[in-house]
Amino acid sequence: MNVQVLLDVRFQFCNNPLPVLRPAAMEVFDMVNQQDEWVGRLTGPNRDDAISELRAFLVRGLTKSMASRGGGDAFAQDIAQDAVIRILDSLDQFAGRSKFTTWAMTIATRLAISELRRRRHQDVSLDSLANGGALQIEDTTDDGNADAAKRDALSTLRQLVDETLTDKQKIAMQAMLNGLAIEEIASRLGSNRNAVYKLIHDARKKLRTGLEKAGITAETLADLFA
Amino acid sequence: MSLSKNQIAKLLQLIGTTKEDSMDCECCFDRLAEFAEAELEGRSLCEAMMAVRTHIESCPCCADEFKALLDGLRAIGNTDDC
Repeated sequence: MNVQVLLDVRFQFCNNPLPVLRPAAMEVFDMVNQQDEWVGRLTGPNRDDAISELRAFLVRGLTKSMASRGGGDAFAQDIAQDAVIRILDSLDQFAGRSKFTTWAMTIATRLAISELRRRRHQDVSLDSLANGGALQIEDTTDDGNADAAKRDALSTLRQLVDETLTDKQKIAMQAMLNGLAIEEIASRLGSNRNAVYKLIHDARKKLRTGLEKAGITAETLADLFA
Repeated sequence: MSLSKNQIAKLLQLIGTTKEDSMDCECCFDRLAEFAEAELEGRSLCEAMMAVRTHIESCPCCADEFKALLDGLRAIGNTDDC
């Protein structure tokens, strides 16, 4: 290759830079590299530096995300500390489908939210929420000007609750409507989050199906009680 | 204990937004980081990510955690060099 050809090639390259292609495979490589880098650093000889960096990163995120949720700076520091321990124990579970830092923040966020929920409802028992029977639906329409359609919808809903839901479903739904998070309900029922979610979700489906069979759609309900 | 007007409205909203949900909270959590990145970057969602979205729309707890996660990720500007 003579000098002129080299100059031509260089000229073409400078004036027509290769397009920056980011195929999905490249992103996968990035993620694998990032996984290797973070996992390597967190398990390598300079792990203390990596741990400090990760903790500072989590504190920054949590300080912002928890500020409006009742968690201050000290709370963010405490949770970040706990999250780092959890993350270090779970490194083998990082599948590399996201950035390592996103995965780490996901763990820290759940810890933070769970702790806030626990504190908020630590003195609330299911018995106190279901005092006198769970999920009782009274006619809350105004007596004089009550809309007949509203009354009918509530009456149908009350009947469906009474006839199709189990006691456990009624208690779980009552607790949720009182603001108790699913994981908090689960801890009080001696169950787990997945099971309680399914319990409540099945109850919602039963009620929805029952209302639809009675000719009351979600849109009708939204219109009636808007 | 009778439900208040607000609670009945909330119950009706829950009923109205009920969808077929093939995912549970733990499966959702396993894919939440990936879903959050797709959401923040405005990427189109594959079938697995659509299932995460459906679950989040059905589960108030997971929705709450997802919102907090997005707040945190936005705060740290989860850039490639992190």
